Amino acid sequence: MGTKNIPSSVVQFALADKLIDISRANSLWPLTFGIACCAIEMMATGCARFDMSRFGAEVFRPSARQSDVMIVAGTITKKMMPGIKTLYDQMPEPKWVMALGNCAISGGPFAFDGQYSIVLGADEFLPVDVYVPGCPPRPEALLQGIIELEHLVSDWKRWKNPEAA
Amino acid sequence: MEQQFTTFMYHEHVLWIAAFTLGGLAFALGPIAIVYLLMPLRTRQVAQKAKQFIECGMDPIGDSWIRYGVVFYLYALIFLAFDVDVLFLFPVATAYNDAVFASSIRDFIEIVLFVGILSLAIVYAWIKGVFKWERKTYLRR
Repeated sequence: MGTKNIPSSVVQFALADKLIDISRANSLWPLTFGIACCAIEMMATGCARFDMSRFGAEVFRPSARQSDVMIVAGTITKKMMPGIKTLYDQMPEPKWVMALGNCAISGGPFAFDGQYSIVLGADEFLPVDVYVPGCPPRPEALLQGIIELEHLVSDWKRWKNPEAA
Repeated sequence: MEQQFTTFMYHEHVLWIAAFTLGGLAFALGPIAIVYLLMPLRTRQVAQKAKQFIECGMDPIGDSWIRYGVVFYLYALIFLAFDVDVLFLFPVATAYNDAVFASSIRDFIEIVLFVGILSLAIVYAWIKGVFKWERKTYLRR
């Protein structure tokens, strides 16, 4: 699905919007929201060793109304799904969703016959922009996901592509 | 020429106050207008719950309109009595030494009357026991 048709404002300035997009890409505010073991890796990414703040994404907000990235970190149970939907609704535009780990991508190890409690992937009900595989993904993988999301948010690139040069 | 305090004094002060009021209004309402023009007018929703007050994702249980002690309300009312006292005595204090009000016992009596009437409210509350911080429960018998 991914992010399409982001609702626009009444007044728009093309140049300013470009600049604002670069600012957004460099300060993504994720929602403090961990629903399973992938959240441990998310915490490690935020801490000193892997240091997510190098990429400006360390400001985990406790309120959905202040954040612009939802990192779906872990297994989505059917009981938790309404809560996740509510949190997504409460986030202001523009907003992006990242599916962290195999459970959030496709249900992971829970995708078997007769399984009755797990939603098989965040993209069943949310527009997911970036998928980060792993069970759980290493913090480096989450950082890579953040950088991919930055490229999605604006045309600005953090690094030049060495192969293209 | 002797000044009469019934004539319109302090013209330039009125202008300044009006200018500051307008400036304050512009500073208060301006950001709201600018944000309205620049913000996205809607947010994408999957469960139509963007307007839910509680921000933890769960549906709230019960109502926020609950009954609690009336003591705070009474206390706030009494604060108003003191507040009006202070509010209206400041201009009196600044203007009292002015030449217009000099050698007049009438102004002093007016202040005493004003403070006296305001104090009646406080005395009334005192007798009613507002200053004792007690939980007031009225049991239905």
